[in-house]
Amino acid sequence: MLEARGVWAGYGAEPVVRGASLCVAPGERVVLVGRNGSGKSTLARVLNGSVRPRRGTLVLDGAAGPVRTELARAVGFVRQDPRNQIVSALVEDEVAFGPRNLGLAREEVSERVREALAATGLSSLGGRMTSELSGGQQQLLAVAGVLAMRPRYLVLDEAGSQLDEATRARLADIVDALLARGVGVLEVAHAPEAVFGATRVLVMSEGTPVCAGAPRDFLGSEELLVRSGLSDDALAWAVHEGVRSGYVPGRRLDAGALAEHLSGEADLEGRDGFFAPRAVACAPAGPSVDLRDVSVTYGDVRALADVSLAVSGVTLLLGVSGSGKTTAGRVLAGVQEPDEGEAALDGRPVVPGDVGLAFQRPEDQLFADTVLDDIAYGPLMRTGDAERAHEAARRAAETLGVGEELFEQSPFELSGGQMRRVALAGVAAAEPAAYVFDEPTAGLDAPSRRALLELVRALASGGAAVAVITHDAGEWLSAADRVVFLRQGSVTAEAPAARALAAPELFRETGLRPPALVELRALVGRDRD
Amino acid sequence: MTRPGALGGYVRGDTPVHALDARAKVAALILATVGSFGARSWAGLALMGLLLAGALAASRTTPRAVLRGLRPALVILSFSLLANAVVLVGQPGISWEGLLRGARAVVRIALVVGLALVVSSTTTPPALAEGLAAVMAPLRVVGVPVGGVSTALSVALRSIPLTMEEIERIRCAQLARGARLDAGGVVGRLRGWGQVLVPLIVGLFRRADELARAMSDRCYTGEQTSMAGPLALRDGLVIALFAVGAALALVLW
Repeated sequence: MLEARGVWAGYGAEPVVRGASLCVAPGERVVLVGRNGSGKSTLARVLNGSVRPRRGTLVLDGAAGPVRTELARAVGFVRQDPRNQIVSALVEDEVAFGPRNLGLAREEVSERVREALAATGLSSLGGRMTSELSGGQQQLLAVAGVLAMRPRYLVLDEAGSQLDEATRARLADIVDALLARGVGVLEVAHAPEAVFGATRVLVMSEGTPVCAGAPRDFLGSEELLVRSGLSDDALAWAVHEGVRSGYVPGRRLDAGALAEHLSGEADLEGRDGFFAPRAVACAPAGPSVDLRDVSVTYGDVRALADVSLAVSGVTLLLGVSGSGKTTAGRVLAGVQEPDEGEAALDGRPVVPGDVGLAFQRPEDQLFADTVLDDIAYGPLMRTGDAERAHEAARRAAETLGVGEELFEQSPFELSGGQMRRVALAGVAAAEPAAYVFDEPTAGLDAPSRRALLELVRALASGGAAVAVITHDAGEWLSAADRVVFLRQGSVTAEAPAARALAAPELFRETGLRPPALVELRALVGRDRD
Repeated sequence: MTRPGALGGYVRGDTPVHALDARAKVAALILATVGSFGARSWAGLALMGLLLAGALAASRTTPRAVLRGLRPALVILSFSLLANAVVLVGQPGISWEGLLRGARAVVRIALVVGLALVVSSTTTPPALAEGLAAVMAPLRVVGVPVGGVSTALSVALRSIPLTMEEIERIRCAQLARGARLDAGGVVGRLRGWGQVLVPLIVGLFRRADELARAMSDRCYTGEQTSMAGPLALRDGLVIALFAVGAALALVLW
């Protein structure tokens, strides 16, 4: 049993974990949910010893106050971003890192590497360079590196939040196999799918995990969903409606069984109908950014092959990792020269600065000394007039909820959520006619995801064309006008969002696993017809 | 995302040189360096050239790749050739003796660059790090943390593609905000790159911090099981070959 008793911990002056107690028994899967900044990750790190608690004790298999190396050896830890976890340039060597640190004999190390690669389905990639792997494969590699240490407990800190649905499912299978072998698992998650099959659900609330019972109890309680933030998640709310009409959550989310307990499409539209699909517009008015016969090649890899597509209103670009969607986004934004073809904004070639570009990590786009200067940078470059630039910056700051008290701070001193708002304000301040958002919601909790959906909708109603590249198609579909599916550098399908959100076959044809909301909508719609 | 490998970066393959133990390759490279710089005659240099030709053939590296590898040093090399050849003091003119002396220096450098290229393009970064650690092992006696140095090298080699990716992303984000990174003469360009450096360095520090945590999460303390097995016969033969070659180069008159 891995146990925390009355733990206080945190990095700043104010501890974020306040008197937390929890336990994970062998073979149990405990899921911890809660909002961004609620202290989930800090608590997770206390459990594997990488954050030392200020007060309180840890108990590992009966022994109180285990030393750091003992904890690290017994409790494996997988992060959200595998790039921060992978140490070596070579796949095999990466997996061997842990066992080698344990001082195991060479044959034993090799044996464990083989075993861990097989368990994660990476056996054929042992001799590859880690940088050659896709994001999903890198995360599975990070898991393999932890498995090779044969931990008795495993902590997954939002390990699935940057993965596509297929890789998430694979990760869930790996975890199931570990549970069957008696490994105890603590999973920190934002996605409602993670709750299924949990032994227990905990909601992080005011620095303490509160036991919310079995998945059925948690998903059936509006109050607990609100507290965890998941009441703002369309899928979680659909499951909630299902549970209230008698749906019993199984080991995995089963769209067929859930659909039988849903009364209609209204159940898929969120607590207050926010996720209702948009009325079918013939063609969204306003500007459009297009790719015309664009080809891009990296070395001998063809990232985009003769792609033509149009972005107007809110357009989603969907595809498995490596399908070329990120490259398409960069060409659309005018920051990458295609080998052939061109990007055009309302018929004119795009030049850098015409199209706003926002990435998942806000750190990548901030650089000025103060928040206000950073937000004003885009308009300043555009107009060359400092006064007008600052005016535009103040407007954008207000729209995005960046308070005036932050204006003179360095953008790098802000919290994650504030930094994200500043970065978005910096993109919006120049008032470009079009935007590209690359994985904007990965790793965000449900209320922040919803706020971002609202922002993007507001930009589109203000007349901008917005391209959104995302793994989380389920929620975005309700905010979108059009969807473009990419596979291996080519467009495989284009559809109005109103059609795509009830058409799982479009996803399958592109090699994607359809989001649960899409499956549900197809099933619920069919029952009604 | 796969990008074309940088010059000298590891290239997957199944040549005899790929199959050699990294320790043997590093040792051979050191011996060849001693041989090339210590050779007293053209005959000695020719012998080292023969070894290089053998290594290039066995690793299927083209001589063109070696020339590309020499390109960054081209200016300095041609300057040293000229400086040796041109006589300004006394009776100005071209000194053949000087030219030969300069040519010899250039040949020595070309030999070493060629062999280093063969080693780095046929050895994976972690194997290279371990090979260097093995060769440095005697320094343990004087207190050098050889295991730590080897891990640091391995992590550094791993970070190169990550850092390149990061620079590219930051540049894209700034270009999209209207930054003109390549405009405005030398000063403008320098300022532009400074702007990229700020988030890059902040990002790298954060990443380094997180990576250090990830390493101690996996019980890293500094010492690791060596994954290198006993040297095979062919590894011994290669070391012996280079040892004899280097010795001959040193004594050939």
